[in-house]
Amino acid sequence: MGYTIAEKILGQHANGQPAKAGDIVVAAVDFAMMHDARAGNALQMIEKLKTGNANIQLPYVKQTALVLDHYSPPPTIEAANTHVAMRAFADHHGAHLYDVGDGICHQVLPEGGHLTSGDLVVGTDTHSTTYGAFNAFGTGVEGTDVAAVMMTGRLWFRVPETIRIELNGPLQAGVWAKDVTLHMLGRLGAEGANYQALEYCGSGVSAMAIDDRMTLANHAAELGAKAALLESDDKTVAWLKAHGAATPRPVFADSDASYSQRIVIDSAALAPQVARQHRVDDVVSVTEVVGQKIQVALIGTCTNGRLDDIRQAAAILKGQRLARGVRMIVTPASRAIYLAAMKEGLFEILTAAGASVEAAGCGTCVNITGHYISGDDQVVISTANRNFKGRLGNPQSQIWLGSAATVAASALTGIITDARTVAGGNWRAAA
Amino acid sequence: MSLNIELIRGSARILGDEVSTDIHCSSKYLPGKDTAYIALHAFEQIAPGFANAFQTGDIIVAGANFGINSSREQAIHVMQKMGVAAIVAPSFGRQFFRNAINNGLPVIECDVDGIASGDAVSVDLTMGCVEVAARQIKRQTTPLPPAILSLLSAGGLIPYLQQYPKWQ
Repeated sequence: MGYTIAEKILGQHANGQPAKAGDIVVAAVDFAMMHDARAGNALQMIEKLKTGNANIQLPYVKQTALVLDHYSPPPTIEAANTHVAMRAFADHHGAHLYDVGDGICHQVLPEGGHLTSGDLVVGTDTHSTTYGAFNAFGTGVEGTDVAAVMMTGRLWFRVPETIRIELNGPLQAGVWAKDVTLHMLGRLGAEGANYQALEYCGSGVSAMAIDDRMTLANHAAELGAKAALLESDDKTVAWLKAHGAATPRPVFADSDASYSQRIVIDSAALAPQVARQHRVDDVVSVTEVVGQKIQVALIGTCTNGRLDDIRQAAAILKGQRLARGVRMIVTPASRAIYLAAMKEGLFEILTAAGASVEAAGCGTCVNITGHYISGDDQVVISTANRNFKGRLGNPQSQIWLGSAATVAASALTGIITDARTVAGGNWRAAA
Repeated sequence: MSLNIELIRGSARILGDEVSTDIHCSSKYLPGKDTAYIALHAFEQIAPGFANAFQTGDIIVAGANFGINSSREQAIHVMQKMGVAAIVAPSFGRQFFRNAINNGLPVIECDVDGIASGDAVSVDLTMGCVEVAARQIKRQTTPLPPAILSLLSAGGLIPYLQQYPKWQ
């Protein structure tokens, strides 16, 4: 009887042996993260832990990072004060600190070399699934959990069942990991993988560049997944090495592992997908909604604010102007991406086309960041991960979701557009 | 604070399917409002009068995917402020379920068909049994594993670790 990647990683971190789905294990955590939107609660929980027991120490705090990304820069006094407390905590205890403008937690953790293949990583954010792109078990937790990791280096987990998703064939030019996830959301529904892990495999995944693999793992959160695991290959190992990560310990599923579902996607034939307003799982092929007017185009977030997303947008908008009446905001996911995009001249292209570029952070993902609020009846097309009614601060506006290619092509024309039909829309990332 | 998890008895208070506790039971969309304020207004949009009529020791009986998409453990703190003794639902959002256990709020996955508002419900977490004697409802579920029952009976993960700094 074989084991899934999730069963192996959790089991290895608990007692050195694979666990089985449904088991409860107490496992050693390699790295933990808390960000500023949840740090207020997390710091309270750490205080609570120490209350009444002065002997309690936090020996594992050096395996944690505090990331100031949601409020970057802070839009309220409360957020600014949370930042003050986070900086003081990091200084005092020796936690890693990523300050305003450094980037989004799920980008800066891998870029900072904090995780490697085979690791177990937790963060106070549902999109902590992102680390699965590197074959690490990444999952979202809360402040109490981070407090427990800082104190004991361990945490309890229920070992999840796994859905295996095979992508059969490389994606066409103009089609991205974003489209794969939106397709899966249309198929399984939001929370269709609640409690479960995903394993993405197949030639469609192998062909993806690391940026796109991170989108695939990240966006699994919308499916309700506890983790989304990809295999570690030469590309993974090279990327991790280049970013100073510890030696990878790749974990593969056994051929006779037990899955709750096996799904095969004809990824080679997949068209760009769009989630219509208010529901992440109201998904159609872009071809079905071509012509829908938009006024706002947003590129960024932990789902699609990476260099390849910005390169794709620039390929479409090079030498062009945004359609009349369209605003476009581009927010790189990290300072490293910001610098690389500047060096490549991408911001010059995008700014000349009429877009504006913001400092790295969570940016236009959700209105609590203070970066964007929609007007009544405005239609936004965004690369973000969620489009719930009112997410951008106004329930009278609409948010549609698509890839950076779809968003840039739509900004160019003013209507939702199939990127494969515009110049530059067939741009391909270097594999 | 430790809990007697052997048998919890309380009056049923009903909520529907797919309730987001981030939206209806946290300050996520009410910035600056504290837990005590939210406890007085929780779930009002989907069940008018719910918080006002809620009595300490009542049991929330909810529909599928209770706490879906909800990452905040503040929702648990709000419910504890309201005096929620336990939550019974056919399924829970993953993070919500974890937060409930970490904060010592008993949760049990069970079919809730036929249970009505005001019914006297008893929940035996150790046995995994939910009973409404007046309606001849007695449902057996898979009991929570002993490790989770230990966390719950300690009152949550923090008091548990204060008591067992090495997890046992």
